[in-house]
Amino acid sequence: MAKTILIVDDSASVRQVVGLTLRGAGYEVVAAEDGRDALSKLDGRKLHLVISDVNMPNMDGISFVREMKTRPAYKFTPVIMLTTEGSEAKKRDGQAAGAKAWVVKPFLPAQMLDAVSKLILP
Amino acid sequence: MSLDLGDALQTFFAESRSLLEDMETGLLRLESVPDDAEAINAVFRAAHTIKGSAGLFGLDDIVAFTHKAENVLDRVRNNELDMNEDLVGLLLGCQDHIGRLLDLASDEEELDPDTRQLGKALTARLRASLGESAASLPVELESPVEKLEASKGSNDTWHISLRFTRGVFKNGMDPLSFLRYLGTLGDIVHLATLDDALPTAAEFDAESCYLGFEIQLRSDADKARIENVFEFVRDDCQLRILPPGSRVSDYAELIESLPENSVRLGDILVACGAVTQRELEESLALQACQNARQVPQQALGEILVQRKAVQPELVDAALSKQKDARQKQAQESRFIRVHADKLDSLINLVGELVIAGAGVGLMAARNKDGAMIEAVSGMARLVEDIRDNAMRLRMVEIGETFNRFRRVVRDVSKEIGKDIDLEINGADTELDKTVVEKIGDPLTHLVRNALDHGIESADVRRARGKPVKGTLQLNAYHESGGIVIEVIDDGGGLNRQRILDKARDKGLIQDGANLPDRDVWNLIFEPGFSTVEQVSNLSGRGVGMDVVRRNIEALRGSVEIDSREGEGSTFRIRLPLTMAIIDGFLMGVGDIHYVVPLDMVLECVEMNGSGAEVGCDYLNLRGEVLPLLHVKKHFKLDGRAARRENIVVVNAAGRKAGLVVDELKGEFQAVIKPMGKLFEQIRGISGSTILGSGEVALVLDVPVLQDEAARLDALAVAV
Repeated sequence: MAKTILIVDDSASVRQVVGLTLRGAGYEVVAAEDGRDALSKLDGRKLHLVISDVNMPNMDGISFVREMKTRPAYKFTPVIMLTTEGSEAKKRDGQAAGAKAWVVKPFLPAQMLDAVSKLILP
Repeated sequence: MSLDLGDALQTFFAESRSLLEDMETGLLRLESVPDDAEAINAVFRAAHTIKGSAGLFGLDDIVAFTHKAENVLDRVRNNELDMNEDLVGLLLGCQDHIGRLLDLASDEEELDPDTRQLGKALTARLRASLGESAASLPVELESPVEKLEASKGSNDTWHISLRFTRGVFKNGMDPLSFLRYLGTLGDIVHLATLDDALPTAAEFDAESCYLGFEIQLRSDADKARIENVFEFVRDDCQLRILPPGSRVSDYAELIESLPENSVRLGDILVACGAVTQRELEESLALQACQNARQVPQQALGEILVQRKAVQPELVDAALSKQKDARQKQAQESRFIRVHADKLDSLINLVGELVIAGAGVGLMAARNKDGAMIEAVSGMARLVEDIRDNAMRLRMVEIGETFNRFRRVVRDVSKEIGKDIDLEINGADTELDKTVVEKIGDPLTHLVRNALDHGIESADVRRARGKPVKGTLQLNAYHESGGIVIEVIDDGGGLNRQRILDKARDKGLIQDGANLPDRDVWNLIFEPGFSTVEQVSNLSGRGVGMDVVRRNIEALRGSVEIDSREGEGSTFRIRLPLTMAIIDGFLMGVGDIHYVVPLDMVLECVEMNGSGAEVGCDYLNLRGEVLPLLHVKKHFKLDGRAARRENIVVVNAAGRKAGLVVDELKGEFQAVIKPMGKLFEQIRGISGSTILGSGEVALVLDVPVLQDEAARLDALAVAV
């Protein structure tokens, strides 16, 4: 069975491209447009990986990850944070919340695939 | 990787353009309120998202440029840089430049030298605002992909020591997946699992990781690439990589630095084939003498933990501050993007449904089937609701269009050295999307005209005792089934005498003609009319006011002017709310059906005993004198006079008139179809609609009829 990845980003084009890329590589993809939307997708379905933007309206990526990690079913779900900010402070915030993997925007689809395959295989 | 990114790319362009608009709104807000955190955030996020998405498509020019603007914004956001007027100006320039880059990218064109030059100039100014000299900045953004692929040619065995921390699982990391990935870089020749850290069963925590690995990897990847494999667990593991051909002493140092028993580690290394037994013993002895230094792993770990413990509070504080602002934005941005074609086809179908519904209603009425009529009228009500809702889908607020003018007013007033404020009222007034799109150009023309010719220079204003700062108002409001857009300036007003002189010169009017103000003002809409002798590069763009009027009339709208010398002018544009379906009032003249928009109809009176004489051209309605428009006469219809004539009193564009018709047929939902090419030029008819019976009804263009009647009157008087 294909592994499922949740992509959370407020930019529709990012969701579209990452979705295409990952689906092309054999993953299943669920998309959410911000942290709050993403929380609503945590409905007990099995997620093998979460890819989340940091800077989003409604609920930012870090709050979302922190909230996600409190739910038993998703405690061990790996997270890749997307960020344009190389800011160390932001990274520390994220790491404190439980997001260890960071991919710096802008990235090419191949880079994203590379990062994902470090964490899970299709 | 070959993916079809065409659709995604279109999404990106649409998204980026709307982000650029947000950016502009934010920047203009910052100009008046420089420390508005919400606006700074919005501007930053716009740049940030554009950059992030552009990278996905390999649009490097956009990424590189936006990145620099974003750097500056980031500093502003962190209060390291003050927002001021200059910076806003610079960032607006950057926003324009990003827009240009996007345009070029969407046309798949190369950067032309001008644009490149402009980009460089802006970049230099951005750097200057950061206090950096152009030379001191390192070359940015070399593609990380290339770095990954640039591998060295050395071809031997690496040794990797891995110790995972307890918490690695909790961070969502699975050690095995990293090892699997490592396997894609080369051959894992040998792998030894260290389970020394495993506690007794009682203390064992199933959610913790106690394992370590010693790995021999044969790969031609370079060290950076191998290190990169463990990028995401860098904080969650102790990683030692020894390159091929390392000296034995390096291995000895490695053994010392790892927490496990040295002898046991040594055995493992020997088993791996990394070192021989003899080499190991020798170097270990040597190392022991030198009193190997203790690597303070534990302390470092503690520091890290402490650092992490501090973070949550910091984050919370920052978050709660932004929360309110974000929530507001969220409500505004709860939209679904739908392709305009889908809406159009929905509206078309609703139009057909309305016609079909009218047909069913007609059948029911003809058959005099009571139950049927009742059912049909219920359905008709629903169809009406559907129609209204469908039409509302196409409605957008005019505010977006108005906001564009903040920028225009700002730029223009700077350019011509006038101090001008823009006031916007009724930004939430909604009108049809197609109308909004098409009203932009004429509105721009009127606004530029008002700025350039309407509002006087500061000196003149001071001399006239007016506030030095000029004011331009953009108003929008609903009025009798239409929307009114006003462009009001408090400038010098139109000069009646100059307009008349000019019109005489051009042969537009005859000598000695005595025209009311309204007609004089309308002269400026005549083709080839321009009152200002010196044409500035601002408003003299070869597009006359006649084009403005033509554009507005193409939208079934009208434009009129109020002006007072020395006090200012008002340009009032009236537009229909929608282009497609209206509530109409159906009338019959002879065998022909006519429709006027229901909102225009004030009342209906019978011709006889209404105060109007037969054959007369005016009506005395309770003391008010209204011109009468004889529809039959106007369209030169044959046929005998009807037994009874009726007058429909209408109010179009603020003028009342009576339409003389034969029969009143009542309300009717009219799906307006444009007239065919052949009939487009017919004055007084703006479209047609199909009745339930399949017959055609013509939609009367009342304002044009009024003008026509006035013209005929004037002729009659002149003769």
